[in-house]
Amino acid sequence: MKALKLMLLPYMGAVIAAAFLWPEAAKGFIGESSRIVFFHVPCAWTSTLAFVVAAGYSLAYLVRRNPWHDDIAAAAVRIGLLFGVLTLVTGSLFANIMWGSWWNWDPRESSYLLLVFLYAAYLFLRSAVEDPERRPRIAAAYALFAAVLMPFLTFVAPRITASLHPQTVINPQGKILMDTPTRAVFFGALAGFSGLFLWMLSLEARTARLGRERRNSPAV
Amino acid sequence: MSSLGYLAAVNVVIWVGLFAYLWRLDRRLTEKERAR
Repeated sequence: MKALKLMLLPYMGAVIAAAFLWPEAAKGFIGESSRIVFFHVPCAWTSTLAFVVAAGYSLAYLVRRNPWHDDIAAAAVRIGLLFGVLTLVTGSLFANIMWGSWWNWDPRESSYLLLVFLYAAYLFLRSAVEDPERRPRIAAAYALFAAVLMPFLTFVAPRITASLHPQTVINPQGKILMDTPTRAVFFGALAGFSGLFLWMLSLEARTARLGRERRNSPAV
Repeated sequence: MSSLGYLAAVNVVIWVGLFAYLWRLDRRLTEKERAR
């Protein structure tokens, strides 16, 4: 594991440098704005991955009642929210260059904002329930409810009406419309961000477990 | 250096800083877990 973490340093360094220096900027975009795809889409992918992980571990908690599963689910939501906000910020930077405004109430922007609110509510809910026995149960049930809504907000709602958003990787033609360097850096970034997410998830969940154990241990 | 080269360098430096922070946090967590 240590070697994998160490490998992430040169790997992500190379992906980040390549994102700026290797592929040509895509045609039909102002200046170099298309390069945001190497950061914006991996952030969105990572937040979706995090919310799926949160749903999985929430279900596992409801079945087995293992507090470690609750630690992982809550950590995944926190990290998913971080990457969700980064998705909104990077999207907003792109929107300002391409569409002349930081926020346009585009269907994709709006549905993604709702997704972020949906998961922010998970954290509010956790902090609102004081009973340590009930908190993980209620949070797990809410995480499953949010996971049912997530595909609609991520994949369905933005496609119902016309959108300013550029064609997504999952498009009606079913083809990845990228040249070879763009595709290599794009999928390289997806893999790198996924690795970074797994590492951050492990750190966040382990920190939560230490805190829980400290609270549960008798005072000296 | 071109502006893209400059942006690449700045972003790589930010990444190295984030990596160092996570690495240090990981090491400290491991020490605390061992001490339990």
